[in-house]
Amino acid sequence: MAHTDVSEHRYTVLSNEPVAEGVNRLRIESDVARTIRPGQFMNLQVLGDASHLLRIPLSFKRADAEKNEVELLFAVVGEGTQRLAKMAVGESSTLVGPSGRGWWLPEREGRALLVAGGIGLPPVLAAASMLAAAGVGFDAIIGARTASMLVHPDVDDVVGYGIADGAADASGGYDPERMVLVATDDGTAGHAGFTTEIMSKLVEKRSYAQVYTCGPAVMMAGVARLASERGVDCQVSMERMMGCGFGACSCCNVALAKGGNALCCQDGPVFDAQEVAW
Amino acid sequence: MVSSVNMAVDLGGIKMRNPLNTASGTFGNGLQFEGFYDVGATLGAITCKGVAAEPWDGNPAPRLAELPSAMLNSVGLQNPGVEGFVERYGSYLTGLREKGCQVICQIAGHSLDEYRRATELFEELAPFASGFEVNISCPNIAAGGAAMGGTPAAASQVMEAVRPLTKRPVIVKMAPHDVAEIGRALEAAGADGLSLINTIPGMAIDVHTRKSRVCRPTAGVSGPAIHAVAVRMVWECAQAVSIPLCGIGGVATGADAAEMILAGATAVSIGTANLYDPTCAPRILAELEDWAVEQGVSDINELIGAFEC
Repeated sequence: MAHTDVSEHRYTVLSNEPVAEGVNRLRIESDVARTIRPGQFMNLQVLGDASHLLRIPLSFKRADAEKNEVELLFAVVGEGTQRLAKMAVGESSTLVGPSGRGWWLPEREGRALLVAGGIGLPPVLAAASMLAAAGVGFDAIIGARTASMLVHPDVDDVVGYGIADGAADASGGYDPERMVLVATDDGTAGHAGFTTEIMSKLVEKRSYAQVYTCGPAVMMAGVARLASERGVDCQVSMERMMGCGFGACSCCNVALAKGGNALCCQDGPVFDAQEVAW
Repeated sequence: MVSSVNMAVDLGGIKMRNPLNTASGTFGNGLQFEGFYDVGATLGAITCKGVAAEPWDGNPAPRLAELPSAMLNSVGLQNPGVEGFVERYGSYLTGLREKGCQVICQIAGHSLDEYRRATELFEELAPFASGFEVNISCPNIAAGGAAMGGTPAAASQVMEAVRPLTKRPVIVKMAPHDVAEIGRALEAAGADGLSLINTIPGMAIDVHTRKSRVCRPTAGVSGPAIHAVAVRMVWECAQAVSIPLCGIGGVATGADAAEMILAGATAVSIGTANLYDPTCAPRILAELEDWAVEQGVSDINELIGAFEC
């Protein structure tokens, strides 16, 4: 039985700054970088208000095991993330992780499609890094409500992932086949509309072996449906309120298609889309 | 650590190396904490998550809302049934016993028959159980969802249903009301000990949507915010019964645990603090021991109920 690799680690803020409307980039030094895998998450304790008990579960964009460094992007949405956005360089606290089951490589040969919506971006970027390192070609669709909420340069980096980001890329770097498409709800950047509208056209033109998606539940449900219709495997990274983030409280249930519930923090956050009751 | 103070206590026949236990539903089944510390070598006991005869799906999402110094939960006792529980955790829990940590299995049910069936299954399949904790706060399906043990008479019925089916110690997890009266009834019905309190019923309303912030209108409040209420109820119950108590409610420090002991608890469970501060138990234990030393006793049992009005 697994999950005993979850433990408490110290973290120290290396940088913490706004990079898009309502989004901060946080770089931390922590030895969780040595064990965390793409699609897993960590639970940060944030300084400043002891009456807020619960840690903040956050997925990450990139971990550098050699530098002991993790890069995260987080939406500043509630009291806790507002406090996190105020943590200064050099401040230190603890995190619990690495938590949950992350992304896995495609089980079938072929190209992958990444679909990110809003703050679902960081784990999708981690998937891009994983695929690049494994030499799996991929395309990406990235959505946001409006242009000012798109995170740059991360979105642009996806085009040349493996070069601009300094990650190992077994495929030899830039993939000339790679398509990276942007959608905004209001049309201020890229396609005016939803990521799923782009996806439904893209899957007509290209065939995929695996879809990776993270974003609003309604978007992921649409992505899962499109993938299912074309017989493409689909991995979804789910989000839930969490009490602990490591399987102790059973508060973060995800209803399963076969009936019953899984726990997002321990059985997920990444699920095979067909396992989930949408 | 070699202690100058005897920390061992006896919770109704469950012999604990120290008073620290875990509140059911906040500790997984122990295994989830092995990355934080050596559970079997540290705690006096663990209380496993409530298990019924058959698997329960639990409630739909959302099951959790955060409140100031507290949380509100409505998990609905999601569990894999006794067989599934033993299959997944039996060998791990047997290992805890071998390390000297007692294992208390919690029994859940929607009817007296379900409590009986779960107890029989545990008797048959769980030799690792040091004793049982009966959760009488489960909804009674026949009574429209009211708590199974909401009155002295109803609580006694549950205890009387379970009692003849096991010779192992049986303690009862009490809801936070009428603890003196219901405690006396449970003692008369054969309970070896009582644990209190379960979460306090509460509500959190999203004023924008006018809906509950969790899946049900009411749910259970836990965490440091309820600690003072829990200490008061342990104190009231301790004066009403002569069986030992396990104090539960917002314990996050050694001083919190010490308050429970002074109020009359023999053992103390850590609950919500396990979730947000999963390394807290070894620290709380060390603080508790320091307190006993500071109090100048050679045995922590001398401090049980030593509150001076």
